[in-house]
Amino acid sequence: MYFNWKSKFAAFAASMAIAGASPAVAQEPINIAALYNVSSGGLASLDGPSLNGVKLKAKMINDAGGLLDGRMIELTAIDTKDDTREAATAAQRAVAIPALAAGIGHSDTTFALASAALFQTAGIPFVTSGATSPDLPAMVGDEMFLVPFGDDVQAHAMAEYAYETLGLRNVAVWTDNAMDYTTGLSKYFVERFTALGGTIAVQDVYMTADQDFSALVARLQATTGVDGVFASSGPDTAGIIVKQIREAGISLPIMAGDGFDTDLLTSVPGPTLSTNVYFTTHAYVGLETGPAETFRKAYEAEYGIAPENAFAALGYDAMGLIADAITRAGSSDPKAVTEALAATAGYADAVTGTIAYVDGSRVPSKPVAIMHVVDGAVSLDTTVTPKS
Amino acid sequence: MGSAYILSQIVNGVILGSMYALIAIGFTMIYGIVRLINFAHGDIFTMGAFTTLASLALIGLPFPVALVVVVLTGALFGVVIERIAFRPMRGAPQVTGFIASLAVAIILENLLVMTISAQPRVFLVPEYLNRLVSTGVITIRVIDLAIVALAIVLMIALVFFVHFTKVGIAMRATAENYDVARLMGINIDRMIMLAFAIGSGLAAVSGLMWGSKYGQISPFMGLLPGLKAFVAAVIGGVGSIPGAVVGGYVLGLSEVLFVGLLPPEYSGYRNAFVFGALIVVLLVMPNGLLGRNTETRA
Repeated sequence: MYFNWKSKFAAFAASMAIAGASPAVAQEPINIAALYNVSSGGLASLDGPSLNGVKLKAKMINDAGGLLDGRMIELTAIDTKDDTREAATAAQRAVAIPALAAGIGHSDTTFALASAALFQTAGIPFVTSGATSPDLPAMVGDEMFLVPFGDDVQAHAMAEYAYETLGLRNVAVWTDNAMDYTTGLSKYFVERFTALGGTIAVQDVYMTADQDFSALVARLQATTGVDGVFASSGPDTAGIIVKQIREAGISLPIMAGDGFDTDLLTSVPGPTLSTNVYFTTHAYVGLETGPAETFRKAYEAEYGIAPENAFAALGYDAMGLIADAITRAGSSDPKAVTEALAATAGYADAVTGTIAYVDGSRVPSKPVAIMHVVDGAVSLDTTVTPKS
Repeated sequence: MGSAYILSQIVNGVILGSMYALIAIGFTMIYGIVRLINFAHGDIFTMGAFTTLASLALIGLPFPVALVVVVLTGALFGVVIERIAFRPMRGAPQVTGFIASLAVAIILENLLVMTISAQPRVFLVPEYLNRLVSTGVITIRVIDLAIVALAIVLMIALVFFVHFTKVGIAMRATAENYDVARLMGINIDRMIMLAFAIGSGLAAVSGLMWGSKYGQISPFMGLLPGLKAFVAAVIGGVGSIPGAVVGGYVLGLSEVLFVGLLPPEYSGYRNAFVFGALIVVLLVMPNGLLGRNTETRA
């Protein structure tokens, strides 16, 4: 039993250190692993800011004296390279870290599924900062926790906004069929939009790797009576889709989920084409008061730039949520941390809205921010809490 | 489904086909002369896109100059890769070269990831290329016209070069039979190098076109177009330049029409359709549309 031996050795070394040196040095760190796609693919534009948010919160906690009477958080960040097999390997490496308290990671459901299953088997809690499938806890098990709202909530919010505020009645739906996130998002959007009385003019599908949307655009143009497009897309195709729709001279409103919360959305089509676009995301980071302001200022001080998107705030919240659970549990034992996480009744320091796991659910219910893009500039339009 | 709709889908297919055809020509030339299935060809395409980005955004060259720079750097990449990775393996079994080309592909991709990260990059072109041209029935952009025109000009020039110039004839002779070509006083090393230079230059230009059209490039962008160009070359008959052109257009058109004419539920399976078509062609016409039995070379 290699790891047992190793942790015993660590405990022994720690007790020797207590005997010899000052107590501050002797404190065992709290190990937390962070799994993100930072080096490859469009997801890196979400995962990179998330990891920065996680690191920032860990640093702030450590600077303030750590947790549980001076124990420092030791964060191990592992790059999952935009490959679900890498994510599983990374999760294996992470759960092998002695006395790991919890794992954090991912902005996409497919990746969260690949990593979280190994944490579930190892009995260590896994908190995803940005994967939004509401079915994740049911699919993975009791170690799976979500920081963001579920896709049902954001898609319902967009459907209600489209029907009631934008006044749309007959929309086209484009879906990336290669991702769990996008297929779920479309399903929830269509469900609520048709329940409200709207109709779906055409449903078209593509795959993440596709770059040529000319055939889909031509079909959109040839469909009569369409008054909007819901593009269920990840960050890879966000900018390309807007560019190709607008280049064909189609000026209809384009709607999307939080997969559009990437700078590629405005930079790829350019400011003239990236306009009349609406997308849902997690409560916005530019707010001037409370935890959001603290976060924004700390982020700017640490990285020299404003938070890129809401995913930076989600990473920050994921780390904060775990720290809160460890404090309430009074221990960094993964079993105790899981119990404390499940009992979260209102973690109010969150930038993206108070997190509470009600009635055994491990998906928080939070308001949805609707962002509006005009001439390449993204701004908060309104906040929606969909009717349940 | 009106005729304007079908016409606009055909136009989309022709534009996509032009890019496939240009990549496929390089593929087929290299195969024709050294019997090498060059899987690094798609990465030369990627290199072309990144070279364009560098010359436009970093150095600030005007677009037409960048075009020339891209052709030359693409050709240089091809020559260097041939010299380092493929020439030492000449005469070895075909599979050795195939593995070497996979290695080159992975090295090039990782080199790009290490030097400029794997995040997708924005690819901006001068405003005049994005202007819309309306013919009444269909509306397309200047860049789309430029892609088709440039592809056709390059292809005609290449066919002329290969068939009517002395160097072109020497190249064809080398493709036909190394030993006899050498007896005729042809420097076959130089001919092979030239095939790599031309093929890679064309792949690099298609990278430029791809980036200009779609506006976003990444180190792994060459994977799918590279594989599809391979399919186009096989459909047309590997080793035949007119075959690669025909194959490229057949593939581009059938891919777009597959999406455009079938119900939208099937749109996601366009790539499955492309590779399915490859299997059908190989079963029905093992030598492709315009190919001949290439395994009988002396």
